[in-house]
Amino acid sequence: MEESSGKVMSAKEAVERFVQDGDELIIGNYTVGSCAELVYEIIRQGRKGFTLYSQSGIFDVEVLVAGGCVSRLVTAYVMRSGGKKGGSAVERALKAKTIELEDYSNFQYNARLMAGLHGFSFMPVLESVKVTDIFHKRGFMGENKFRLIQCPFTGREVVAVPAANPDVCVIHVQRADAEGNAQYWGAMGSVAAAALASKRIIVSCEEIVEHDIIQSSPHLTIIPAYRVNAVVEIPWGAHPTEVLGYYNVDTFMYNGLFSTAAASEDGLKDWMDEWIYGCPDRMAYIDHYIQRFGVETLNELRARPLYSAPANYGAAFTSHWDRDGRERSMGVTLPQLEKILKERGKMYE
Amino acid sequence: MSRPYTLDELLVIAVAREIHDYENVVLGVGVPMTAGALAKAIFAPHATLMMESGIVDIRPLLSLNNIADAHSARGFSYATDLFSSFTATYRGFVDVCFLGVAQVDKFGNLNTTVIGDYENPVMRLPGSGGASDFISYARRTVLTIRGGTFVNKLDYFTSPGYLDGGDSRDRTGLFPKGSGPSALISNKGVFRFDTVTKEMYLAEIFPGVEIQSIKNEIPWDLQVAPNLSVTQRPTDEEISFIRNFAPEMSAGRELTSELRAARIREKARQRARSNV
Repeated sequence: MEESSGKVMSAKEAVERFVQDGDELIIGNYTVGSCAELVYEIIRQGRKGFTLYSQSGIFDVEVLVAGGCVSRLVTAYVMRSGGKKGGSAVERALKAKTIELEDYSNFQYNARLMAGLHGFSFMPVLESVKVTDIFHKRGFMGENKFRLIQCPFTGREVVAVPAANPDVCVIHVQRADAEGNAQYWGAMGSVAAAALASKRIIVSCEEIVEHDIIQSSPHLTIIPAYRVNAVVEIPWGAHPTEVLGYYNVDTFMYNGLFSTAAASEDGLKDWMDEWIYGCPDRMAYIDHYIQRFGVETLNELRARPLYSAPANYGAAFTSHWDRDGRERSMGVTLPQLEKILKERGKMYE
Repeated sequence: MSRPYTLDELLVIAVAREIHDYENVVLGVGVPMTAGALAKAIFAPHATLMMESGIVDIRPLLSLNNIADAHSARGFSYATDLFSSFTATYRGFVDVCFLGVAQVDKFGNLNTTVIGDYENPVMRLPGSGGASDFISYARRTVLTIRGGTFVNKLDYFTSPGYLDGGDSRDRTGLFPKGSGPSALISNKGVFRFDTVTKEMYLAEIFPGVEIQSIKNEIPWDLQVAPNLSVTQRPTDEEISFIRNFAPEMSAGRELTSELRAARIREKARQRARSNV
């Protein structure tokens, strides 16, 4: 590995250094490939008082809420892992009034990030929201959930949402280099927007790759190195969710063990004791999983390869000087060029 | 006589029949995904299936876990983002979208947010997701109901159907003319919306279902089409597609959970034995 910028670290160190109590925290992933291990580490460190942003809350939001880390939740969708009867940790917290929630549609939520990432103070959203309770029912954001403005060009009334610039984004991707160039592919969702709108970014990845891999495939890079604070290599870092090209969703763990557990407060607590508090890091978690269910259960999930056709980033030449040392358009060698410049009085001692 | 089928299978097939060839189709979670795959495989081969996660032009090979599931296919044609999926809908490029329903009223307005009072929920549902924006700007929307309820008044107004009926949706000037729900499909029949009043009526009934059993679930005096038709039986081709593609849909929620739980217990038992 080349000399590193010092961004490569453990999940423990990344969370200690870049996640603080009371932060606006955003889960960068959308519906698939969640940053499970970064979320678990935040819970283990007992961080509290977050305003949590999640485009589509799955088990990640549930365990953060059940872990007592969240005061406020901004979201467009919260899964009921426990099914119709069992509900979810979010439902239980709302009933106990231990969290406040602000409801947006998927587009409106994402529009707040788009404003934030581009440096605008607001973003227009689709105006039909005016007839719905999403517009009328205001949570902790009150008047600032939506505002009405007039389009200066058409005169029409426009619904606007305020920019969001969360303090810290946690996100899992397929691969990154040691500097933090993060490559992600598959369902793009609002993954890049969540990261780029944020002030600090912690990237976990299935593997850290050499910089030249990144340079040969810049179309896959969704976060540039200069925006990234920490890079954490975590194989199986999204388990039990899926990472395209690495592994499938583990329905045995997710739809089976987790969903069954999530149907009650005690069940979820036991599950978290075993799989979050009981495993100091992802290696311990995977060891525990293998011990409980066998390595073959995990191996069944491993992706078989379907490689993207390579994009050709090549060029006709990468030097102005041809094989004979002549400049390609002027037809002279460097000594010849220097001689001419001297003859014409253009060179100074 | 074709093979026997389950009501959930017929629901999926009825939904799939709402997709026409060459249409741009947005699929929501659950039933619509299997319906979309069925339509693409059998009678709308040129339909472009897309999901708000930015997956565009996918040909799923097995049932999808969620709307961002790229594992269910061997790639797809266009990887855009969520923001652009909605602005494309806003600009009129989506012909039909499919949404699941928790509460629905007679004008096709939807609640997928909360049962009970918003501040003091009896049941907290997932929320809007993409529903509110899609039903607003897709050219038409097909609703599916499996486990949801028909109500006189929504507990929370998440997604706009025909508002107060008649021309009230168009009158707001907020929606593309002519947009809105075109059908609601349950596992008992197909409902459509009156062209003038925009009130939902029963247009088709599944074979063997009594009208009264549908009326029992609906708190208003449901109108029934004078020419009420019986939904065509599924073909063997349609049935075998669903059973191969989405066996958990054929099994239904309860049986799927039951069999999955049994498998977990079995696995744990085997493991315990081999650890001895």
